[in-house]
Amino acid sequence: MQKRREFIKQSCTLCLGVLGVGVLSTQLTSCSPLPIFKTVSTEKIIDVPLSSFNQEVNIVIVRDANLQFDIALIKKTETDYDALELKCTHQANSLTATKTGFMCAAHGSTFDLDGKVTKEPALLPLKKYKTQLTGTSILIYLT
Amino acid sequence: MKITLVLFSALYVLSTQAQILTKEDSLNAGLIKSPNTTVISGYGSVKYKYQTREKIAHANLDRVVLFLGHKFSNKISFFSELEVEDAKVTGGEVGGEVALEQAFLKFDINKNIYVVAGLFIPRIGIINENHLPNTFNGNDRPFLESLIIPSTWREIGVGLYGNLNSIPGLNYSVGLVNGLNSAGFENGTGIRGGRFEGRNANASAIAVTGSLLYYIQNFRIQASGYYGGSAGLTKREADSLLLSYGSFGTPVALAEADMQYNHKGFSVKALYTIVNISDAQKINRAYANNTPQVMTGYYCELGYDILKFFKTTDKNLTVFARYENLNMNHKLPKNGIYNGTLNQQFVVGGITFKPIKGVTIKADYIFKETGERNPALVVTPFPQSLPYFKKQGFFSLGLGYSF
Repeated sequence: MQKRREFIKQSCTLCLGVLGVGVLSTQLTSCSPLPIFKTVSTEKIIDVPLSSFNQEVNIVIVRDANLQFDIALIKKTETDYDALELKCTHQANSLTATKTGFMCAAHGSTFDLDGKVTKEPALLPLKKYKTQLTGTSILIYLT
Repeated sequence: MKITLVLFSALYVLSTQAQILTKEDSLNAGLIKSPNTTVISGYGSVKYKYQTREKIAHANLDRVVLFLGHKFSNKISFFSELEVEDAKVTGGEVGGEVALEQAFLKFDINKNIYVVAGLFIPRIGIINENHLPNTFNGNDRPFLESLIIPSTWREIGVGLYGNLNSIPGLNYSVGLVNGLNSAGFENGTGIRGGRFEGRNANASAIAVTGSLLYYIQNFRIQASGYYGGSAGLTKREADSLLLSYGSFGTPVALAEADMQYNHKGFSVKALYTIVNISDAQKINRAYANNTPQVMTGYYCELGYDILKFFKTTDKNLTVFARYENLNMNHKLPKNGIYNGTLNQQFVVGGITFKPIKGVTIKADYIFKETGERNPALVVTPFPQSLPYFKKQGFFSLGLGYSF
């Protein structure tokens, strides 16, 4: 009786394990690094070439040596781009950027790709910079 | 004319308040342009609790916390939280507490890495770092994260936090803090009473902590650990108590794993932890505090924001249920005494309403069931000893805020 119970228990554990690995592996396919565009801004404008975007994702992390925080440049449509400052509005920690949103590891706040708070304690949305599409690049205005 | 003046005054006050709130929330959040800024913020909670078995009610201002932060430069900031628990502290009376929950300097090394130094809360469990009342369901913090993993567990030390560009969503932390004091361990609250919390900590015993935190899709997955000494004594003292001394003498080890999921108003939380005090027998021999060798516990919670149906509203009305299982007698040393009341199960159900971000109104019911009381641990004999109820119910109403 004990052996049978043990067997059922082990089988169930194994099945759950396999299921868990399966689910995780499907999730992991989307965890490739986001492209990072490194630059040094001049005159409060960052010029990001359209070629910075790859075909898989619509987000580029803009890393400016003159700025304290990264900027997430998000391609909403072919002509519409958002530039969000990756600084948590709760206690100014750097945010972790993923393809689905932005997370603060310090206190658990999360933001969607529009910069809106999806999980407190942050109360305010992310700061959004003005953008302008030119022929071959997107300009981010830091003012 | 008078009415107009009153209206203008009211509008002015309201607009002023709005500005203050915005500024406070900004902390040094960069919404204020100057790098040299000071910000005040805070959080708090109050609750009414009715015990259904004994038909008795209590009302308590659980905590009011004032946050004070200062940004010295883009690289260096100061953070502090001063807490008053239970509204009042009176000399000679039990209850109430005034304490610093945090007081540390933060040094930004680069965009991915920062270091904190001072009195800080290491990343262990969910509630420890995220303990604001608008971040968890129920008026009470999960019992596991009070009794087995102490909540707001802060010590003096240094912590390094970072994230990896190569694996988006992966965060890590390591910390070095002062150890615990095993003389303060109490039967029923595990290692909680052994914390120094920044007051005259004996740093001869030290501890290391570490965590890995991974955000993937709508999941937040974390594993963390703690290993440290709990007998920061001189060799003479330790020898006289027959305790192991030194940096990691009389060690306490804690491991924890948790998972959170949030998507379209649906939320799931689960956490498992185990605490191992390998020298529990020696601690009991030295201090007679009935310390267990191993404690375990887990909880899981489901919630759904039913206002998600109405996509235009920013309000939140979450219905939730949580099950907790705590076993603080998982393994006892030879000189430990079994205490059935420390095998605890909780079923918590309720609602959390947020009329606006930062404000929460909560109602919940807690069903608690424990094991039998061990007569050997009842000090007061019959008929003076109060009856012990294995099953109890609590109904709570409360308010919380954070800004």
